[in-house]
Order: sequence, then structure tokens, then C-alpha cells
Amino acid sequence: MKRNRLKGSIIKWAVLVVILIFLLFPLFWVLITSFKTNMEAYKYPPTFIPQEPTVESYISLFTENNEFFIYYKNNFIVAGSCAVLTTLIAVMAGYALSRFHFRWNQWIVAAFTSAQMFPIISRLISLYKLLGDVNLINTRVGLILAVMAAQIPFTIMLMSSFYDGIPLELEEAATVDGAGRLQILFRVVAPLVKPGMLAVGIYSFLLSWDDYLHASTLIQTDSLRTLSVGIALRYLGELSYDWSLINTISIVGTLPMVILFFFFQKYMVKGLVAGAVKG
Amino acid sequence: MNRTGTRILGKNRHTTDKLFSLALLLPAIFITCAFILVPIVDSIYRSFLDYRVRNIINNEPGVWNNFQNYLNLFSNGKLLPSMKNTLIFVFGVVIAQFILGMALALVLNTGIKGSRFIRSIMMVPWVVPTLISGLVWMWMFQAQYGLVKYLVDVVTGGRVTDFAILNNPATAMFGVSCAALWKQIPLATLLLLAGLANVPDDMLEAAKMDGANAVQRFFFITLPYMKSVIKVTVTMSIIENFKQFPLFWTMTGGGPNNSTTTMAILSYREAFVSNNFGSGAAVTTVWMLMMVVVVFIFNRIFRNTDM
Repeated sequence: MKRNRLKGSIIKWAVLVVILIFLLFPLFWVLITSFKTNMEAYKYPPTFIPQEPTVESYISLFTENNEFFIYYKNNFIVAGSCAVLTTLIAVMAGYALSRFHFRWNQWIVAAFTSAQMFPIISRLISLYKLLGDVNLINTRVGLILAVMAAQIPFTIMLMSSFYDGIPLELEEAATVDGAGRLQILFRVVAPLVKPGMLAVGIYSFLLSWDDYLHASTLIQTDSLRTLSVGIALRYLGELSYDWSLINTISIVGTLPMVILFFFFQKYMVKGLVAGAVKG
Repeated sequence: MNRTGTRILGKNRHTTDKLFSLALLLPAIFITCAFILVPIVDSIYRSFLDYRVRNIINNEPGVWNNFQNYLNLFSNGKLLPSMKNTLIFVFGVVIAQFILGMALALVLNTGIKGSRFIRSIMMVPWVVPTLISGLVWMWMFQAQYGLVKYLVDVVTGGRVTDFAILNNPATAMFGVSCAALWKQIPLATLLLLAGLANVPDDMLEAAKMDGANAVQRFFFITLPYMKSVIKVTVTMSIIENFKQFPLFWTMTGGGPNNSTTTMAILSYREAFVSNNFGSGAAVTTVWMLMMVVVVFIFNRIFRNTDM
């Protein structure tokens, strides 16, 4: 019995250590490399601790290769707008789906559920022409709307599961007091689902930050490009890569997401789990 | 709950309820239709047309071409290999992700020391942008000075000194799968952990009393209680991996020798590199059908098995 327990505990730790190394070491390796000199980064066999730690590649990113920050800024604008607008739309639509049970609800839910399955490329083949027709191609507005659309279905379901937990009596009391419907939604109910709004907003920001396909097809002007596409087109050459620079870019490009996650993980984790497990 | 609510408020509110509800849903419905549903239907329609970039430039409508887009894709041998590659990738990653995610969730669920800390730190790969996770693994796999090359060199005692996983048609798919797994295991673990929390302890305890060993308890109690969470986790993973594009595009570009050309890569190449939108739309249409079939079969299996 005791022997078995020991064996079990060894297996447990082995599984944990192996998977954690797989998950955490690669990013750590990129971080280490970003502090190496170019010479050392291209050394074989590789060194596990930078011999002369340097911020050379960070300085070069800020001074010589600062087109990066145009893409970075654009990514903040696009992801931020998507997060705000998606949250607003989800706050309204989620409320409608949670509070009013009309027959069309099941059709709307079915449309939303299937909408998130479709491949982005399929949409883009058509959007390329459709957005051109309404002069939204190669504009930030067009990009933001297209990116948002992909997130709206899931975020609405998520938001409506948060509303389900708010008792109806509150609204009835407010109605008796003579408050209007919109007033009730935004003044009385919405403040109660703040955790849901945070979960939705951050989730939307995260997904928009990650966008590659929308921006690669709907944007052609370099000054409007977002992060992933900008990196791919400017820094990933045909033949050889400047690996010190790319490792530095990887760190700087990921940093906002890691900070955001550690600040708001409570909301994100709870929200996602609630949305996925219920929805 | 709502039914009683409307009754209390009176029946005459029914119409205004309807209008209000519709008004709240309108922005969401508009964007979903304009940017998802209409484009999807439109691109299915265009898959039957001869429709290229010059049609857009000259503002000419596409011309019906008797299924030529589909026939060409079959006859030039592009479609079937990429269907196969897509399925291999999806099944490989989904199964590996489930096993590894479940293993990690089970370990973390035993309440080992520091499990709260591990739970939050393990999520980091999940927030790394997809393109950057591709770059991270390209650097790990780098052919001249990559870490994996060095490790393989050391482990094999110097027999394999030129290990370049992404440059070899036989292993490139595995290389991209590593990056996909790396980014996706955290979320799968998180969801499965939430599922594990719903398994009642007293059931497990009772089974233990009755002499069921750990493996039996896992298969006959834990798994059945997690059925719905597993279903959601796996469905999400199937859809996400079917759609995977940036990892392939940056890590291999579909190569070497088309060994990693999936439906995503093929449709992108047809539509946005060769500028043949009709042909690209044909690929995405087949791709969507495949996805629907796989998700449907998965749901069917799940409904029938009494696990």
C-alpha cells in the first residue's frame, strides 16, 4: 500500500514536471535569448545563461526597427476598440437573450452558435469584395468590425449566462419606481454584471490582439497594419531571420497580454469556465 | 423565471417587451449577418463561379463555370492531400491535447503544494499571440543553432547532429503540432479542472471503500461526471484546430513539399496568393462541410456512448 502510494506520487510529480517544462521553458528560452548578444545567440552549442547579458536588441528595437511600434500602436487601437464595442453589444444582446424568452431566441442562438464555426478565410474571400463596395476595405473601421464579428457570438452567450444569475426582483422594484427600460438595464442591472463585462472585454481584447488573418487580407497600407501581420511582413525575411530581434519582438509583443492576464485572471478564468461549462 | 416575471408585469407589456428585446439584439444581429452569415453564403455561391481578382478590379461579376473550381482541385491533386493533412493535424492535436490536459488537470486536482501558483503560471502560453508562439517554436527548432537540435544531438550521443524537424516532410507536421499543443493545453487543462471540481467526492470515496482502484474510479466515476465539460472542451479544440492558419503560414508556409498544406493554407494560397477567389471559395466550402461532418459525428458518438 505504502509502496503504491510512493509510486503514485512519483508518477504525479513526473507528469507535472514534464508538462510544465514543455509549457514554460520555450518562453523562458526566448527571454534568455533576447538578452544575449547577436554573436552569442548564434552560438552552437547554445549557452544556457547569457555570458554577457545585454539589452542591445531592445535598444535596437526602439531606435532602428521602430516601425514595430506603429504596428504595436495599431494593435492597441484595434484590440481596444473591439473590446469596448464587443462588450457594449454583448451587454445589450446578452440581457435580451437572458430576460426575454421569445420564440426567435432559439433561432438567434442557433445562428450565433454556428457562426463561430465558420473558417475566417471563407468570410474573408467575400468580405474582401463586400467591404470594397462600401469603401471600408483598408480602413481601421472595416478591420475592427470584421474582427469584432468573430467574437460577438461567444461573448453574447457568455454575457447572458452572467445575467441569468441576477434576480428579477431588482428590476421589478425599479419598474415600480418608474424607471425606464434602458435606465434599468444600464443603471440597475449592468453594474451587477461587472465581472461578466470584464471577462468579455478582456477575452475580446485577447482575441483581437491575436488576429492575423483579418488584418493580412483587409489591410494593405503599412501604416495601418497590426502586430502579427506587421511582424510577419517586415521581420520574417525569405531566407534568414534576425533571431535576436525576433526574440525581442516576441517578448515585447507578448508582454501586454501577460500583464493583462495576471491582473485580471480571476475574471477571465471564472468567466471562461462559466461560459464554456454552461454554454 | 421570466414567464412569471412577465405575468407579474402584466400582459400588455408583451409587445413592448418584444420591441425592446429586438432593439437590444439588433446591433449583434446586424454585425453577425453582415460580417459572418452573408459572407459565408456569398463565398459558397462564389465557389461555383469563375471569379478572380480581375473581376474585382474591373467590377465584373463572376461567371458560372459548371463546378470547374471543384473539378480542378480534385484533378490537380491539391485537395485530397490537404484534406488528409488537416484531419491528421486535428485528430493528432485534439487527442494529445486531451490526454496531456487531463493528466495535468488530474495532478493539479490532487491539491499538491503550490497548485494555485502553477494554475496561474501555466496559463502563460495561452495568452501568447499565435504568430509569436509560432516564432517561439521556430527558434526552438531552428536548424543551425536551435535548442532542440542540440538536445537531440546530446540525447542520441552525437549520432543525429542535423535534426531539423520543420525541414523534413516526415516530421514538419509534428513540429507545428507542438506549437499548437503548447498554446492550447493550458485552456484545456483549465476547463477540465473545472469539470473535475464537479465530481462528487463522496462517490469517489464510496467506490474506494468498495475496492475500486484508481484507474477504475477514473473511468467509471470521474469521466462520466465530466461528460459535458469534456464535450465542450473537445468540440472547442476540434473547431480551433480545423481553423488553424497562422502557425502553418509562419512555421512552414505549407511545406516542405506540401507536407503541411492544410485546407486553411490551400484556400489562402488559392484565394490570396494566386488571386483565384472562386477556387479558394471552393476549398473553404469543402472545408466547412468536413468540419460540420466531424463535429456531427463527434456529437453522435458522445450521445450514444454511456460513459
